Amino acid sequence: MRSRFLFALLASLPLAASGAQSIEKSAPRGDEASARAALQARFDAALRADVPALEKLLADDLEYCGVSATCSTKTQYLASVQNGTRKFKSLVPKVERVTMYSDSAVLTGKVYALSIGDGTERQVDAYFLVVLAWRDGRWQMTNQSSTLLQPAPK
Amino acid sequence: MRRFAAFAALFAVATMMSATSFAKDDARIESLRAAEAARFKANVDADPKVLGQVLDDDLEYVHSNGELNSKKEFIDSLVAGKRDYVATTFEIQGVRILGDVAIIRGTAKVTVADGGQSRDLDLGYTDIWVWKDKRWQMTAWRSARMPPPAAK
Repeated sequence: MRSRFLFALLASLPLAASGAQSIEKSAPRGDEASARAALQARFDAALRADVPALEKLLADDLEYCGVSATCSTKTQYLASVQNGTRKFKSLVPKVERVTMYSDSAVLTGKVYALSIGDGTERQVDAYFLVVLAWRDGRWQMTNQSSTLLQPAPK
Repeated sequence: MRRFAAFAALFAVATMMSATSFAKDDARIESLRAAEAARFKANVDADPKVLGQVLDDDLEYVHSNGELNSKKEFIDSLVAGKRDYVATTFEIQGVRILGDVAIIRGTAKVTVADGGQSRDLDLGYTDIWVWKDKRWQMTAWRSARMPPPAAK
């Protein structure tokens, strides 16, 4: 009896694995509207310097690459928000394209930012490229990479 | 004894299944790295055939000077010589695969011919690839100029 049970268990392993995969694929995943909302929430949280909100909206494996070509991890990014290094007076994103994939969404567009640093304000307008990953039942930003619309002349 | 054999068999099957999955991921990463290398080479060679294969029809290519090109605009500019990449060296710093999407992050030194002279651009870049029609295709590129090294 016991050996029959073990045989059945062994035989069902591959099926269990493929079953688990199909359950994951058919689980409700965020749609385009929710991806757009997640990105807007991310920009809003950055404007408010709301670290707890950003903690949820950013993936643990975040790569945040700014207009100066330097990239930060999630920890580094949150630290810069917390200590005021990264501070904005206004942050206006304009999403121009959203492409949905199986486990992710890619959003591109422009962001018009007025940053505050060292007592001065600086307008930073950039193209952004954002990848959201669908994890734990919500969108999480796993990459943002930006290029200045008009880089400063040399 | 029989119980031990059954659990050993279970463990072996589970290990084989994960090994197959890891091998598949490794193969996908290798093919992605190869596609990236082919793309950089095709830029220098201004090769529309290779670029036609490795670039997605929906490509958004944002150059470090803020110029935005579609796939057609990008390939046409290379073929016409309006954009002339003389040489490129690149280093991939990170590759991540999320289902049918991949993110590559890296740096590149690009030598461009500009008005009879050549100049070097040091870039940090991110590109996004999608797995379509049984091959990787680059669908987005963002780059930014790296700050010059601090004077010593």
